[in-house]
Amino acid sequence: MGSRSAMLDRIRRACAGNGTTELPSQMPDFPHYADPVAQFRKEFEAVGGVFLDGRGSGELLEGLKTVVRASDSIEVYWESQALLRRYDIPFNRAPSHHKAGNLLLYSCHPEQKIDFPLLLESRSHGKAELARSSLSISPARCGIAETGTIVHEVTPGTGRLFSLLPPTRLVLLSERDLIMNSAEFFPDLLVDSQGSVVTLITGPSRTADIEKTLVVGVHGPKKMFVILTS
Amino acid sequence: MINTAKINRNVEAALADRQLQRNLCSTLGKSVRMRDDSVAEVPNWEELSRYARDVKLHTLSRLDHYLAMLEEKITAQGGKVIWAETGQEAVQFIVDLARQRKIGKLVKSKSMLSEEIHLNSMLGRAQIESIETDLGEYIVQLAGETPSHLLAPALHKSQKEIADLFVRNLGMTPSGDVHEITSTARRVLREHFLSAPIGVTGVNFGVAETGTIVLVENEGNARLSVSVPQIHIALMGIEKVIPRTRDLAVFLKVLIRSATGQKMTSYISCLNGPRRPEELTGPDEFYLVLVDNGRSKILADRFLRQTLSCIRCGACQNICPVYQRIGGHAYESTYQGPIGAILTPQLTSLAAAPEHAFASSLCGACQEVCPVQIEIPHILLKLREQAQREKKTKASQLSLERLVMGGWALVMCSPRLYVVFSRWTRRLWRWVGDIRGLGRFLTPLTHWYKHREIPELAARSFRELYRSREE
Repeated sequence: MGSRSAMLDRIRRACAGNGTTELPSQMPDFPHYADPVAQFRKEFEAVGGVFLDGRGSGELLEGLKTVVRASDSIEVYWESQALLRRYDIPFNRAPSHHKAGNLLLYSCHPEQKIDFPLLLESRSHGKAELARSSLSISPARCGIAETGTIVHEVTPGTGRLFSLLPPTRLVLLSERDLIMNSAEFFPDLLVDSQGSVVTLITGPSRTADIEKTLVVGVHGPKKMFVILTS
Repeated sequence: MINTAKINRNVEAALADRQLQRNLCSTLGKSVRMRDDSVAEVPNWEELSRYARDVKLHTLSRLDHYLAMLEEKITAQGGKVIWAETGQEAVQFIVDLARQRKIGKLVKSKSMLSEEIHLNSMLGRAQIESIETDLGEYIVQLAGETPSHLLAPALHKSQKEIADLFVRNLGMTPSGDVHEITSTARRVLREHFLSAPIGVTGVNFGVAETGTIVLVENEGNARLSVSVPQIHIALMGIEKVIPRTRDLAVFLKVLIRSATGQKMTSYISCLNGPRRPEELTGPDEFYLVLVDNGRSKILADRFLRQTLSCIRCGACQNICPVYQRIGGHAYESTYQGPIGAILTPQLTSLAAAPEHAFASSLCGACQEVCPVQIEIPHILLKLREQAQREKKTKASQLSLERLVMGGWALVMCSPRLYVVFSRWTRRLWRWVGDIRGLGRFLTPLTHWYKHREIPELAARSFRELYRSREE
C-alpha cells in the first residue's frame, strides 16, 4: 500500500516541532467499597440484572433451578466441562456424548425442572444451534463492584456467539474474583488475555433510541442472571 | 459542498417545525439532567477529565508513533491494517473486498466515520446492501434520512413517527408501542446478522499497547456485528488511538457518564484481532481501516489540534442552546452541534462550511461539559478570525461593513466624539426608526427585526443620568 508511508509521513510532519504533553503517570483514584458484594449487587440490580447469592451450601444448585424456571428454557447450554467442575456442579455424560470435535454442551430440562447430577449431552457447536438456544451459562473472568459489571472472556474451546445469541444469560461469579473498580482490571487483564475478545457486560441489552424511553432486550440477551459463589 | 443559503432555510424550517421542537425539548432536557446527575456522583471528575485530556493531547503529539505501534500489535494477532488517506480509499477497500468475495450484503453498527465518508450511499452505488443495525440508525435508514445526533440518531423523530414507519415498511402491527417496535427490529435484524458475511463497525478506542479495538454500546448490535459474520471490518479515524489499556478505565468512565449518564453501558467489547484457531465462533478475518480524511491537516495546528481529542459523547450537543433549538439536520453536515461547528470546517475547509463557526452564541456551555476539556468557544473564535481574514483578502473593495466598522472605531477612540455621536444617534433613531417605524427597513436591521423587536431606547443616556445624580 502506497498510502501507508505517505500517511505516516504526513502525520509525522504534522506532529513535528510542537511540544509534547507528558503522558500522565498518576492514575486518578477510583472508588473502593467496604462491602463490594453489596455494591456489585446494588449496581447490577439497578441495570435490570437478577442477582442470586449462591455462597451458602447448596445455594448454587438452588440458584440454577431458579434461573432455569425463570428463563422458561428446556435446554441449558454450558460453556465447558471445566465450568461444571470448577463450581462443583454434579453431572454425568450421556451415552450419546461425543468425545471429539467442536461441541456445544447442553442438558435437557423438560418442564423447566433441573435435577442433579445433570445429564450432559452434546451437539456440534455452530451458529444455527446457538441461534435456537434459550439459555447459556459461563463463568465470569471477574466482576467489577463499582458498576455491577461482569467481565467475560472468550477462551479456547468456546466462541463469541455463546454468550451473545441466547436470549437469557447466566454468569457464575466467584466472590474472590470480585474487584473494586475498572482501574484494577484494565492494566493487566487485556495484556494477559489469550483470547480474541474480552467483554464487559453490565446488565441486559438495552436501547433508548426512541424518545429516550428505556427498552430492554433489543439485540443481545434480554435477561441476565448472576450467581455469586464462594 | 455545504450550501449557506440552505442552512439558513433549514434553521427557519426547524424553528417553525413544532413536532421537531417538541421532540428536541423532551429528549435533550432529559439527557442533560442524566449527565449532570451522573457526573455529580464522581468527586474527582475534574481530575479524571484532566487525565483524559492530557492522554489525548500527548497521543496527538506523537500520533505516528502510536499508530505504528497499534498496527504492529494488530498484525501480530492476525489482523490486517489498511491505511486510507481519504474516505474514498476506505470505501474502495470495502467495495473491493466484497466484490472479490462476491458478497452483496453487510451489517453495520453505528459509526460516525462511516457517515462522514458516506459509506452507505457509496456501497449502494456498488450494489452492496448495507444494513444499519443500531436501532436509531436503522430507523433513520428506513426513513431515508441521516442521523441528527452523535448518540441518538433518531432523536428528531417521535415514537408515533417511528411506529408509522415500521408499519409502512415492515408490516408491523400498528400498536405504536415501543416494545413492539423494538422486538420487530430485533426479529428483522437478527435475520440480517445471521446471513451477512461482513460486519462493519466503528471504533471508540484503539489501544496501541495491546492492539485492542474497543467498542462501547448498549444494544448488542456491535457485538453481533463483530461475532456473527466471517469478516469484521473496523473503521477508525486516526485520532482514536490511545497508548495504554489502563487509560481505558478513565476514558470509559468520562465517556459513558457524559454520553448517557450511565455508570457503564451494557457492553464494552475489547477485540484483539480475528478469532484464534482454537476459538469456535467469531470472524476469520479482521481488518482495521485507519482513515485520515482531513485529520492530519488539523493535527498540524498546535492550538486547533485539540479538536481531535473528541471522544464523541454528544454532551456538547445536548447542552447547546443553538442545537437545542435547531436540531442536528439544520447543520447539513455529519458532525453537528458545537463539536460539528469546529470539526466540519476543519475537516473540509472554511470555504466549504462558512456558516459553522458562526452557528454558536459562544455561551461556553459546551466547554464546561466536555469530558476532554476541548476549548470549543476559543476554537470557534479562531476559526471566525480565519474566516474573516480569508474574506478580507478576497474582498479588498470598500464594503458597507468596513465603512461602518471604520467609523465605529473612530467614535470609540474619542470620548467627546462618542457623546456627540450617541446623542445624535438617539435623536435620529427616535425620529426615523422608532416613531415612524422605519427602522425595520434599514438593510442590516431587517434581519434583526425578523425574529425580534429592538428594545425602546432610554430617554436619557447614562452620562446624563449620572450628571443629574451628582447635582
